[in-house]
Amino acid sequence: MKEEGVLFHAKHAFMPNSLGYCGPDERGQIQRDLERGKTDEELVQTLQKFEAAYPFLRLIARSTGRDVFDYSVPEAYWIGNELLRKVPVTEFYSFSHHELKGRDPARVKEVFRKLEGAAPPHHSFYVMSTYATAAVPDGPNVTNEAGRKIAEVIDNCRISWGTVRKIWDRELQVEVRPVQIDEGSLSLAPPAVKRVRYNPEVRPFETVRLGDVVSLHWNYACDVLTARQVKNIQRYTDADIRLVNRATKAGHSRE
Amino acid sequence: MCVTRAGRVVSASKGKARVEFFDGRALDDVDISVVNAKKGAFVEVFGNLALGILSPAEARRRKEVWAEVAKAIGEVRN
Repeated sequence: MKEEGVLFHAKHAFMPNSLGYCGPDERGQIQRDLERGKTDEELVQTLQKFEAAYPFLRLIARSTGRDVFDYSVPEAYWIGNELLRKVPVTEFYSFSHHELKGRDPARVKEVFRKLEGAAPPHHSFYVMSTYATAAVPDGPNVTNEAGRKIAEVIDNCRISWGTVRKIWDRELQVEVRPVQIDEGSLSLAPPAVKRVRYNPEVRPFETVRLGDVVSLHWNYACDVLTARQVKNIQRYTDADIRLVNRATKAGHSRE
Repeated sequence: MCVTRAGRVVSASKGKARVEFFDGRALDDVDISVVNAKKGAFVEVFGNLALGILSPAEARRRKEVWAEVAKAIGEVRN
């Protein structure tokens, strides 16, 4: 179970690490282990060096009495599952101030206040709330071009999902619903197709099929989702969007 | 996942910049067009997009936070 959890976590953490956006400079090792389909202590130690993802796993694990790399823990964080409801918001609030570094404490506090205890420790919520917590010039009233760029970075950084429509050697055409910002509110745009990368040497992509739904991170197909996971990622993403819109509705958090 | 990181623009051209972050790393292709940052500015970056400009005082505070992060990363293995 732990090996499954480590690999699931590594699959979703791989691409932003590879791009240099987070974690240690160990992309070669992560890719090697994903292709081998095996974990070892070295990979676990590498994943523990991620500045935000690993602390989130620890939060979910200690709040639910699970091992950090029990499959359900990284699944809750990246995709969403019932464990998210078991993390007390007071724990998440305390965690956001004391363990999750790099954000403006005043803005974090404001988001929690506006959401009145509804914030989940879900990766997409973390990503989307950046829109509410970063010092974005003009806040929700960003120009179309700036709004497009912000929506694009949110869309790339959240875990999204896509239905496979075409398969090439190392690329897939997937049908997705990207994040858009319209009059200051986040929403999912109508379906569109795009090309993403995948690694056919990472299981289960050697058997990826048309119609499969895959999780996506920075235009990279991380895993093939089960029907339950598809339902969950849609449900939790919708909830994240509603929450972030609520947090920004009463006025942007810029101070 | 992406982390909101703070750093300084060390060179800028045509809406792109090299940003050196307080965590010791750097990125060459940060999009600074949303915040219109200039060389020397302190910026808040998410992924490869600069989302905000930080005052020197706020930048100093973030630098201290990142020093704590580096220390914490050494402790998380326990």
